[in-house]
Amino acid sequence: MTALTLTRPIPSGTQQWWVLTARLIAPTLRNGEVAVGVAVSVAATASLYIPLNRLMDGPDLQMSSYAQYLVPLIVLQAIAFASISTAFRAATDSVQGINRRFQSLPIASLTPLAARITAALYRCVIGLVVALAAGYVIGFRFHRGLWYAAVFCLLTLLIGLALALLGDTLGTKSRDPAATAQWLLLPQLIFGFLSVGIQPLHRFPEWIRPVVDNQPISRLVYALQALAGDSAGGVPPVTWSVIGPALAWTVGIMAVTLPWAVVVYRRRT
Amino acid sequence: MSESGNGVEVEGIGKSFGSVDALRDISFEVGRGEVVALLGPNGAGKTTTVEILSTLTRPDRGRARVAGHDVVDDAAMVRRSIMLTGQHVALDEMLTGYENLVMFGRLQGLKKPEAKTRARDLLREFDLEHAAERRVGTYSGGMRRRVDIACGLVVRPEVVFLDEPTTGLDPRSRQAIWELVATFKDAGIATLLTTQYLEEADALSDRIIVIDHGTIVAQGTADDLKERTGGTFCEIVPRDPADVQALAEALGPLLPEFSRAALTPDSDRVSLPAPEGPRTLTAALARLSAADIELADIALRRPSLDDVFLALTGNAVGANRAEPAAGEVFS
Repeated sequence: MTALTLTRPIPSGTQQWWVLTARLIAPTLRNGEVAVGVAVSVAATASLYIPLNRLMDGPDLQMSSYAQYLVPLIVLQAIAFASISTAFRAATDSVQGINRRFQSLPIASLTPLAARITAALYRCVIGLVVALAAGYVIGFRFHRGLWYAAVFCLLTLLIGLALALLGDTLGTKSRDPAATAQWLLLPQLIFGFLSVGIQPLHRFPEWIRPVVDNQPISRLVYALQALAGDSAGGVPPVTWSVIGPALAWTVGIMAVTLPWAVVVYRRRT
Repeated sequence: MSESGNGVEVEGIGKSFGSVDALRDISFEVGRGEVVALLGPNGAGKTTTVEILSTLTRPDRGRARVAGHDVVDDAAMVRRSIMLTGQHVALDEMLTGYENLVMFGRLQGLKKPEAKTRARDLLREFDLEHAAERRVGTYSGGMRRRVDIACGLVVRPEVVFLDEPTTGLDPRSRQAIWELVATFKDAGIATLLTTQYLEEADALSDRIIVIDHGTIVAQGTADDLKERTGGTFCEIVPRDPADVQALAEALGPLLPEFSRAALTPDSDRVSLPAPEGPRTLTAALARLSAADIELADIALRRPSLDDVFLALTGNAVGANRAEPAAGEVFS
């Protein structure tokens, strides 16, 4: 048999990273993951905007339209959904034992993780693009020019990165794809609806306002609304006091996740 | 290539998980072109040994070299030299068989066209062409195992670890894997396989290492091991069970005292050690026909590996014991 003829070439780290990334991305096009990702953003836009538009719009919104107000939240939910897919995928790999197999190959220990994070960012980019496209349809626009739009996207991808790392670690640790995905829906629901992304702070009951005002999604919504700008000028200004807390939450999530991730990957993979 | 003549050299490795000693002072070697079976019940330490040798787990004590490279200090080189097939098939179930093979080729440094050609070749050799474009998730157990092993052969390994390669397989797939192990041997690859099946260890390996409770209880060829549990014996069954005592008398000095003592009133046969094989049998026959004892059967018997295992460990091979393996401790 010719099964044993080839000699060992020297593998390149970049090639390995790309191959491992491609293996995660290729199936998303045919197993419906991309289609579902697109559908989720479109559906979220429609099912939030259509029923809430008339209810929420009003002079106290202080913005030109509810669309302009709502789209940052839609972008963030697309990112959250991407992180759930990432966690699901990480749990699947972990339980199928392919991580261990990669470990017995001449692959640097961080390469598979780097590939999974790259694939996660790819999901985030799709989510972001679709959410922005859907937002455009209902009337969302960037009012502060290209640079601020770029920072809007970068901040979104940065929180996407933090959530991807968190999702990947959770999934790798749990080894239970279905349960992981279900548990992750919970924070998405709570933080999504109890945030200033749905309606301004003053419309929430007084007792819950401190929570709503300071939780991470709200802080990110403030920052994204500021970066997108508005024709009516009712958005927060782009200042450190607005962008800073959003960045702090993002960095904070990473800072908490990283040491835990190191422990999980050392043991598990 | 390594400077060492041996594929695997293990010197006194040990591994503990918490207070459990999974491995205690294990030493053995596997030469190039040699197939060695690690035989033992569940929880004996087989998988932990393979995991240490394939760099997935670090030994707490001792040293091990694989293809001439130290498994701790030179893990990267070990990984470039080995193929590992674990107890559970580890493939990307979302990808097709073909895509898995291309992926593993590319991961090990093949250029894309090379990896594709290689994948096609391997699919043909492993009789999987018909399933090449189907997701691995839809494969049967035997097919998965074949792709799993094929993925390990995309580039030529110097040392192959097969951890219970035939567990849960149908007889045809098991046969295919047995044949594959023979080709490893012909190709000069050092192969270490673990198994719970005695007949598998007997059929495939040049040498058997019997492991139990994390220590080696015996090693040698199947023949050596059988010899160690008393070797060949002659089993004599009289037509009338009542003749057993008379039969024992008739054998006289041929029957050692301990064999005589082993007889009970319920015995229906006599087991006679036969160090000289057929000559002992001929001598026994001569004595018995002189004493005019009618026989139902007389035959030379060799102990089975099951007998060997029972004698060495005090346990039947099938008896599972709950002892944590490496993967389970962290659950």
